[in-house]
Amino acid sequence: MERVADLTVNNLASQLEDTSTKPGQDQINSRIFMTSFPGKVTVYLGKRDFIDHLEEVDPIDGVIVVENEYLKGRKVFGQIITTYRYGREEDEVMGVKFSKEMIVDRGQIVPSTNEKPELTVIQEKLLKKLGPNAYPFTFHFPSGAPSSVTLQPGDEDTGKPLGVEHAIKTFVGDSIDEKGHKRSSVALAIKKLQYAPPSRGRRLPSSLVSKGFTFSQGKINLEVTLDREIYYHGEKVAATIVVNNTSRKSVKNIKCYVVQHCEVTMVNSQFSRYVASLETREGCPVTPGAAFTKTFYLVPLASSNKDRRGIALDGHLKDDDVNLASSTLIGEGKCPSEAMGIVISYSLRVKLSCGTLGGELQTDVPFKLMNPDPLLADKDKTNALKKSKSIDRARYENSCYATDDDDNIVFEDFARLRLNEPDE
Amino acid sequence: MELVEFINATGPRFMAQRFIEEQHMLGWNIPPEHADLVHIHWRNYPAPDNVWHFVMAAVYFILMLLSTSGNGIVIYLFMTTKSLKTPSNLFIFNQALLDLCMMVNMPMLVVNSFYQRVIGWETGCDIYGLFGSISGFGSAMNNAVIAYDRYRTIAFPIDGRLSMGKAFILMCFVWFWALPFSLSPMKSVDLFGKYVPEGFLTTCSFDYLTDDDHTRYFVATIFVWAYVIPLLLIVFFYVQLLGHVRGHERMLKEQAKKMNVKSLVGNQDKEKSAEIRIAKVAILIFCLFLISWTPYATIALTGCFGNRNVITPMFGMLPAVAAKIVSCIDPWIYAINHPRFRAELAKRCPCLITDEKSSSDAQSTGTHATAATEETVS
Repeated sequence: MERVADLTVNNLASQLEDTSTKPGQDQINSRIFMTSFPGKVTVYLGKRDFIDHLEEVDPIDGVIVVENEYLKGRKVFGQIITTYRYGREEDEVMGVKFSKEMIVDRGQIVPSTNEKPELTVIQEKLLKKLGPNAYPFTFHFPSGAPSSVTLQPGDEDTGKPLGVEHAIKTFVGDSIDEKGHKRSSVALAIKKLQYAPPSRGRRLPSSLVSKGFTFSQGKINLEVTLDREIYYHGEKVAATIVVNNTSRKSVKNIKCYVVQHCEVTMVNSQFSRYVASLETREGCPVTPGAAFTKTFYLVPLASSNKDRRGIALDGHLKDDDVNLASSTLIGEGKCPSEAMGIVISYSLRVKLSCGTLGGELQTDVPFKLMNPDPLLADKDKTNALKKSKSIDRARYENSCYATDDDDNIVFEDFARLRLNEPDE
Repeated sequence: MELVEFINATGPRFMAQRFIEEQHMLGWNIPPEHADLVHIHWRNYPAPDNVWHFVMAAVYFILMLLSTSGNGIVIYLFMTTKSLKTPSNLFIFNQALLDLCMMVNMPMLVVNSFYQRVIGWETGCDIYGLFGSISGFGSAMNNAVIAYDRYRTIAFPIDGRLSMGKAFILMCFVWFWALPFSLSPMKSVDLFGKYVPEGFLTTCSFDYLTDDDHTRYFVATIFVWAYVIPLLLIVFFYVQLLGHVRGHERMLKEQAKKMNVKSLVGNQDKEKSAEIRIAKVAILIFCLFLISWTPYATIALTGCFGNRNVITPMFGMLPAVAAKIVSCIDPWIYAINHPRFRAELAKRCPCLITDEKSSSDAQSTGTHATAATEETVS
């Protein structure tokens, strides 16, 4: 089976090489993701990451190739499936199932129900290359659909990781309500992500707290200020700490943490994990009457939290780079409690230890940790934003999956996503 | 006239007379030095026929084989499979241990049945009673602990699982729960209660017939300790568990509705009845507990506080048999229908689980295999 798949890829690749050498072609470098049911059904997608811009989510645009002889008058249907997995498979006792699949969008692809579909650049290109048996399709995530998030499994965990996943599945059949037959269904994992908004915000998040003591006068004041509201993954979080001690106690040490808060809405549970931390005695003890100011730097990284169970990561497909889950953005006018799936937020926590009797003084400063929109990173391109077609074009140019050779389309075979179906 | 004589000679009265002449009363074969063992109540009944002893021995022999193989498999799989050594499975392993404890009594009964009395007199009776009680009290509490563990895992799937350390402490707790009132009736300890032969005088259990306050307190205590408390805990945890499952389902439906979802995959058939499916399993476990211990509770309470004339030797034997049958069923309910245990067993000796493949094939989608196996139980 696998071998056949390889052949298909090679054939296509060679076909494409022929066409790509023709002069006068668009010089757009793009990587195409494909998966196939060998020789019969092949799905092509221009990208796997679909970005939620809050007002709208990137449409899931692609092309499917089916042999007419194979179809024999049957139809091809597509579905976008969102899977919630909120408990380990090995814990499924008493007939409980900790995963739920939802078809968030679906439709008929072949024969096309839409006479004149609006095609995206990539669809046009693919249709041109793949010939008469290619059909375009476009699906949409509903507004507020949860982002792809994976909870990092622990050492002993087997089975699929917990989190929110999305996939596009196509199947051949006679009716849309039919359960796709294993033999004819093809599924590809895709991701829905959020990028940081264009403006990183001018407000510097800060928090001011103070602590008094029962049997003595005076207070310890703590002020924590961050240098940004939104950080990009991999950036240093700079926290300026100002301690002002007017009490008779002294501050023994200072602890800083980056806390990842993870709310699993499906089971109404939330938990927090430290993803970066430091402890220092610098400037300590802060004696009565003294003051202390210092900026500390913390870098929250997925790589420094490997193998820790329950750390939330951005949804990722096998070989991708992994980063910590991005903060969940909620559309304007929506209440945070309406957020779905797994909701992520971050805060910087500072703890001052005032000795065994003095207790602790603690404060949290919320911030956001996200990926920048690669499109907006380059200001020249922002002008092109107005036209939707140019958005796509720019995105492909920008995604810069530059390859050494001059092929303008590189096909990548995704391993066929197995839908829990045993191989026959 | 002749006819009347004939009827008299062969009729019921004659037969009854013959019966009494040949039949000993219960306890006839107990020598005077051990006469204290047998409560006067049992002496009112004729000794059961040899056939009955033989039937009991045969039943127990079969139960012994079932229990040893079932529980043995569970213990063997748990001990030898690394992936099965999870905190939750520790309780299932513990259940198998406790059930094996019960099994220890079975060969003793088979021997007792041939002698038609308890071998080893007081000591034999103490040993028999000790194993039975440890196993009984222990598995009652272990059932409650399993309910608690399942409640934690299912109600809080993300972070509810017990750690191995905590599970081990709970397992010890089960054994400590079982010990005090199992040891106290022993002759050598003789603190609270007493082990005596019951029914056919071939099995032993705590004394519920002696007409004094001491016995009544003891029966009341163990009734609460080994029946009421575990039962309440089991009901509490499974009810809570169902409440949480319902909450999860509602939450998911709400989110699906917000997203305008056209169809929840599989929602049509199996998924929809998740609550019902879990409820079925919970009720099954609850019923097994009832079957296992209600006969003992009833008979002990009747013996103590009610009309003891209803407690015939035959009736007296029933609770012991019920408890032992359940101890043979337990491994099937908890382990062999557990998807992971099942898979491991199928891997090791495929001959034992031949129906596995066909049943999961019938379910067609591998995803629902878990559901399928549990469903066959209920």
